[in-house]
Amino acid sequence: MKKLILLLPLTLFANECIKCHQDKLQKCKNSNHYTLKNAINTIFKTFNFDTNYTLQNLPEPKNYKNLKNLVTDMIRRKCMRCHLKSPLINKSNNLCLSCHNTHSNKLDAKNAKATQKKCLNCHNGEFIGTDFLGLFPKDYDKAYRAPITKDGTFKKPFLNSYYHNLSSDIHFKKGFSCISCHNGKNWEKANCTSCHKKISKNNHPSYHKNISCNACHSAWMVNSYQLHLLRDDTKNYAQWKRLTKQFDPYLEKFLLKALKNKNIEPKMPDYITNELKEGIWYMGWKFKRWENFILVKKYNGKIYLAKPQFQYFLTYKDKNKTLVFNNLNELNGSKLEAFLPKAPHTVAKKAKECEMCHENRIIFKKAINSNLLNAKTLKSRFLNDSELKKMQSSEYKKIRAKMLFN
Amino acid sequence: MRLILFFLLLTTFLLSKESCLNCHQDTTSIDSYHDVKIFGCASCHGGDKKAKTKQKAHKNMVLNPSRLEHAEIFCAKCHKDIINRVKNSLMNTQSAILDVLKYQFKESEKIVKSNGIKDLINKPKAEQSLAEDHFSKLCAACHINQKEDSFKTLQKRGGGCANCHRVSNTKIVKKDLKPKIIHSKFSTKIPSKTCLKCHNRSNRIGLSYFGKFESEGYGTPFKDAKLNNKLDKSRFFYKLPADIHHTKANLDCIDCHTQTGVMGDKKIALHMEDALDISCKDCHKAKFKNSKDYPLSSLLSALNGNIPNFDTIAITHKKNTPLYNVTNENNQTFIYRKKDGKKFKITQISNKAYHTQEFHKRLDCSACHSKWIPSCYGCHEVYFKNSKQYDWIKHKYTKGAWMELRSYLRYESPTLSIGYNKKIMPSAPGCQVLMNIYDENNFSKPFNSFAYAAWSPHTISKESRECIDCHFNPKTLGLGDGILKYENTKFKFYPFFDSNKSGLDINFAIDSLIDINGTQYQSFSRDNARGFNKKEILKILNAYKCIICHRDYDDKIYKNFNESKKLFYNKKTKCSKELLK
Repeated sequence: MKKLILLLPLTLFANECIKCHQDKLQKCKNSNHYTLKNAINTIFKTFNFDTNYTLQNLPEPKNYKNLKNLVTDMIRRKCMRCHLKSPLINKSNNLCLSCHNTHSNKLDAKNAKATQKKCLNCHNGEFIGTDFLGLFPKDYDKAYRAPITKDGTFKKPFLNSYYHNLSSDIHFKKGFSCISCHNGKNWEKANCTSCHKKISKNNHPSYHKNISCNACHSAWMVNSYQLHLLRDDTKNYAQWKRLTKQFDPYLEKFLLKALKNKNIEPKMPDYITNELKEGIWYMGWKFKRWENFILVKKYNGKIYLAKPQFQYFLTYKDKNKTLVFNNLNELNGSKLEAFLPKAPHTVAKKAKECEMCHENRIIFKKAINSNLLNAKTLKSRFLNDSELKKMQSSEYKKIRAKMLFN
Repeated sequence: MRLILFFLLLTTFLLSKESCLNCHQDTTSIDSYHDVKIFGCASCHGGDKKAKTKQKAHKNMVLNPSRLEHAEIFCAKCHKDIINRVKNSLMNTQSAILDVLKYQFKESEKIVKSNGIKDLINKPKAEQSLAEDHFSKLCAACHINQKEDSFKTLQKRGGGCANCHRVSNTKIVKKDLKPKIIHSKFSTKIPSKTCLKCHNRSNRIGLSYFGKFESEGYGTPFKDAKLNNKLDKSRFFYKLPADIHHTKANLDCIDCHTQTGVMGDKKIALHMEDALDISCKDCHKAKFKNSKDYPLSSLLSALNGNIPNFDTIAITHKKNTPLYNVTNENNQTFIYRKKDGKKFKITQISNKAYHTQEFHKRLDCSACHSKWIPSCYGCHEVYFKNSKQYDWIKHKYTKGAWMELRSYLRYESPTLSIGYNKKIMPSAPGCQVLMNIYDENNFSKPFNSFAYAAWSPHTISKESRECIDCHFNPKTLGLGDGILKYENTKFKFYPFFDSNKSGLDINFAIDSLIDINGTQYQSFSRDNARGFNKKEILKILNAYKCIICHRDYDDKIYKNFNESKKLFYNKKTKCSKELLK
């Protein structure tokens, strides 16, 4: 009898999982995946608000005249499409199934392992995740749906978007998946050295000891500069005709309808309560690049790659056509554009060549778009003058010349 | 002689007073050289100038005599030379576009000179090729003799001479039996916005010069809850540094581009660059002549009205035509802006090391001084064989409709290649055609045709690119974006873009013009043009070994570079002892 009960497939409710995995559920509830503490408070931090919110205690604003309320609304309705209970991620009521699959007994527990496919449901687009597969999100305009496949159709969108294929991460090529490194023990803090214990001293000289592995070994990264967000409570749909695809499946469906029937009320869900609320959030970028990168010094003293994540320009037009906020990009002299140290998952066997950093035109403010550095840094700082000078010191030049005459 | 002719004409006109002015009293003149009191109306517009009734008077009259088919009859009475030149110019025939398109669509093995639009006017649609249909639907809207009334939503183009020279429109002030006409004004002071009616697509020179980059289409910022920075209905831009000639002197297109270059020189040019007259050195290393030997110069200065008739004027190096607005005063060169006569000093090309080095003698000015180049990767042509689209030559909807899709855009680090003049020039994709055809239930991808093109992007800056920006930058070399490495005494390149996985059906990265061994992946439509070959790539990269330390042209190794090289390889310099084994 006992055996028979174990063999019965578990129903799709968290409490079914709890029967055996009480401890795991507790652990999950303290995790960043559940609270989204990091994501929420980093966004507020970019707007200069020091907050300590979680997904569970994020307020539900009633009016949007003050900036904090509007940012909260933006987080609830734009950013929080991805959380463990979001219907876009997990249609069941079982929290666990956002990452795990079901299993019926102890013997097939393997089947319940988190899969890369599930990770990518959230970790995609501008974020680290899909870059591991070599995917770079395309621009939104209709013209970028190309190429047309051999059967005359567009490639099916992957995770609500279209992607370019660039060189994928070496670990992906060798058959590893997200959980190969981000496993139960090292879930949030996987690091290279736990596997790569021995690294050659020849290629890793002491003058580079403060540089993170990714700074050299990540080949490219998703740099999406300037995130322009507009909440529009009016029925102004026509201008979005070519821009229906904004990484947001609800918005796409809504716009396709609204472009035919312009009398539809502008409403969009709050992804935490799943209620439709007034106003549509639209988004767009300045541009996206994979070849650009900059370096920053993290507060732990290590040099990291930094991503423009995110650089806000905020506009809000209410129902009475009043522009409550109009292209807001600065608050009390502080920019709402931020760079955040990151480790892009685009590791190549061949590390970057010296020049890519030592002659990096963006870092040395020689590139046309170096004004993009008029932003702030989070958890890090830009390289200072003496560090930049060191990068072009005669010592560097001598060492590099020797390498090239070898 | 001229004066006598003028008076002869004058008396002829005065003696035969036209009946036109009985109704059209106080009609204004087109300009001060064609005074209506002297020339009347009929000499340009035709009709019956002796008739007493409107119907008779207006019979066979033409509203716009500057359309080329009318200009041949009316304007050519006095301006025969220029009308003939314009008729054969590329702005009228567009043959250069059509001929390259045919080559690019693999319909001809090499570029064959055609008559452009003229060939297609009477050619039945059923006999037209893919390239000819594409040209009729997407390119032919922009030629100077286009029918102006064909434009309903787009900016009006065409109208013959008026396309460029008409600076204000005709207005009928009083609409009754005797309407007063304020005649349109014609001028040689053509504002740049007129040129931009057409020159804003393809290599986008008309946008780049003013510091506009056609963007990815986001329409950001969303200021005032709108999409902003519009070029037209569905095209957007963002600002980048403009050309120094614009930022410093606000020069218009016509301040450099001469009438010979623009309106043609009797010969039918194969390519745009064959028609082109002006070059950087015409002003910056000016060749001066006595204006008396160039009668065109005084005529043009009189027509302009703002530019004095100088004794000394510069002439172009290529076609020896006068630059009546460039002169020499006290051994200094000046340009006078055509729109208002304002004067600007022109710096002459210096004899500093960076301009005189033998090893850089193949560089075109634009190779170093262009700040950026608009680059559009992947031109996905989609042809719907059974749909209809407006045909700008037949002036009706005809079978076959085109749509164009893209891969991505970039603007930085202009790629260099060998240009049409055998000089090293900035270049960018132009075009990378991926053909898709829908024919009822059939779909086919008949061919890919990947090409690059070299041109001066008109984003000139005073500062040149840095040595490293060419000598160790894979994008500049034409390799594309990726990692350029020096491994085991060899240079290697690992591109980022994966064309195969991106569904492009080509075996090279979309931004790779060449590979590190000089294999030419993408073609050029010009005979001499190509990406760097293996020898050149190695030469450029090997020079970097010196550049790491010797970054300045003032560095003594560049005083006599060949000698320095010898000393180095004979281990007679300080660094060679350290660097050479």
